[in-house]
Amino acid sequence: MFRSFLVTGAVAVAAVAVTPAFAQQTVTVGAIEILSGPSAAYGTAIKAGLELALDEINAAGGVLGGKKVALIVEDSAGNKDQAVNAARKLVGRDKVPVIIGPTLSNEMFAVGPVTNERKVVTVGTSTTAVGITAMGPYIFRTSLPEADVVPVTLKTAQEKFGVKTIAMMYANDDAFSKSGFDSMKAAAEKLGLKIATIEAFGSKDSDFSAQLTKIKGLNVDAITVSALVEPISGVVLQARQLGIPASVRFIGGNGANSPKLGEIAGEAAEGLLVGSPWFVDKKDAINDKFVADFRKKYSKDPDQFAAQAYDTMHIVAKAIDTAGAAESDKIRETLLKTNHTGVMGPFTFTEGRDPASTEGVVVLGMKGGKFQILQ
Amino acid sequence: MAEWLDDFLFTYETLIHALGIHGLLALSMYCVMALGQLSLGQAAFMGLGAYTGALLTLKLGLPFWLVLPISALVPALVALIIGGPTLRLSGVYLAIATIALGEVLRVLYINAESLTGGALGLSGIPQKASLGLVYGLLALCIAGFWAIGRSKIGRAMEAMREDEMAAGVMGVNLPLYKLGALVASAMLAGLAGSLAAHSNSFIGPNEYGFETAVTILSFALLGGIGTPIAPVVGAVVLTALPEVLRPLADFRLVINGLIIVLAVLFLPRGIVPFRLRRAP
Repeated sequence: MFRSFLVTGAVAVAAVAVTPAFAQQTVTVGAIEILSGPSAAYGTAIKAGLELALDEINAAGGVLGGKKVALIVEDSAGNKDQAVNAARKLVGRDKVPVIIGPTLSNEMFAVGPVTNERKVVTVGTSTTAVGITAMGPYIFRTSLPEADVVPVTLKTAQEKFGVKTIAMMYANDDAFSKSGFDSMKAAAEKLGLKIATIEAFGSKDSDFSAQLTKIKGLNVDAITVSALVEPISGVVLQARQLGIPASVRFIGGNGANSPKLGEIAGEAAEGLLVGSPWFVDKKDAINDKFVADFRKKYSKDPDQFAAQAYDTMHIVAKAIDTAGAAESDKIRETLLKTNHTGVMGPFTFTEGRDPASTEGVVVLGMKGGKFQILQ
Repeated sequence: MAEWLDDFLFTYETLIHALGIHGLLALSMYCVMALGQLSLGQAAFMGLGAYTGALLTLKLGLPFWLVLPISALVPALVALIIGGPTLRLSGVYLAIATIALGEVLRVLYINAESLTGGALGLSGIPQKASLGLVYGLLALCIAGFWAIGRSKIGRAMEAMREDEMAAGVMGVNLPLYKLGALVASAMLAGLAGSLAAHSNSFIGPNEYGFETAVTILSFALLGGIGTPIAPVVGAVVLTALPEVLRPLADFRLVINGLIIVLAVLFLPRGIVPFRLRRAP
């Protein structure tokens, strides 16, 4: 009863009435996302992307010769213990062959060992930290790790704007920001950029004047920041207030890739650079269709999390179809051979189960409070 | 049948572990609250135990039977050191000082990067805390508190809780009891932390902050502090509720909150309001 209630909820949009007799004809896929609490925006975007793709898949005849795909989305509330409980429920009770998610890298570090031990394919769509896929042969991700995106951004800054000396700032108390900073530092060293100073702050800090005053005296060409969007906005605003000239560009990690930055920091963020695996105005037929369909269904613009989830659902469905059975081991094999062209561009997996190509990465620049593709 | 049971255990393994561990944390809170003190250092002590245990296992490869007592002793030692100055405080001031301890330790974990892994925490901790061990320890602690509660010590504790000054005048050694309770509470929290680290396989610096401190306090507040079993019941209810309510999907947290609010409103002495009966 519980199960059919949940399934119905998850695929209500697809208007599929799930009855026990019908359940034989469906392939159930699980997802763990943050649907409540302060980070719910990420999970809700991902869920929207997954369900849009699900509609298309089922409308096109489903998988395995006509079986519909059903999706059970469990809430983790951004808590790693709840994420593990959700994963255990999906594996033990619902017996899903594939789990999409969880949303955060921290949650993935807790869920990964459990699902990998049970040999259930787990595909992260938004987990960018180092070491995710190293947890085991059943852990995949379709999100480009920060280590792949950041070098592209820094290289563009170096080539286009002649950036030579940089100051680096990062939040040292959360895994996402720290891991992003490690990737940035490695990339900067590889490109031969001179690092004038490295300054840390806390995610919940609101005063960055000590760090910024020091940076102001060092005459750098650009400042890199790895943190979530709220502290980045604070850093950018205070930098301009302290008189760091607009010619000193900010370069953000994945955390800066949010429309919220323009809303909070406004003018101060002008010229900020960020790398993104996807962008709403990217011009190609597949992306145009995705954006149009998404707007039609949800009456709002998709973000990168929805785009990544949309591609992932298609990739997973394709893997189930070619595997010939909804069995985890077979799906793992076909998933490794994925060759899909989606909204993020051409997609294949490396042997380490990370995305292989960084071709889809676009560098965005902030202009008038909005991100635009850098010309 | 066997397969069904296996799946059931797999599904709820983490939850069953968490119930036992949270039970121990609730007892650690009970330990100080039974004296009428409001200390919020339990989360900090839990973190100390977790980090001590995880580091001993990961870096030194010590056997688990040795790791466990050490991860209870380290927080106890810290409690002994900070107990002197902080126990001169009472009420809300003690609470603030003990919250500060948690903050200090959090910053320490973040910055001692080479040892603690900084913000990335420690992962790959082997799962050594078996269900038997967790629940064995929990049963042992409940029995221990029950026995103490019925003894002379228990009577002194209750006297302190009802009126500290009167108890002091009657000859109860206040500083000794307070320090003893703090140390015992730190040991229990450290033990729980170490068990949690060895059942979760991952720990991070932000898990032992203010939020966790308040969660542990709420175990005791919801359950009550009349008997040692009461806070454990509170912990079980608060831990199991979000999972039991999972089928409600979107309304889960709403109902969860509602149940807690109703319990606090209508059961002000806790879910288990009884008191220990004294030995004659």
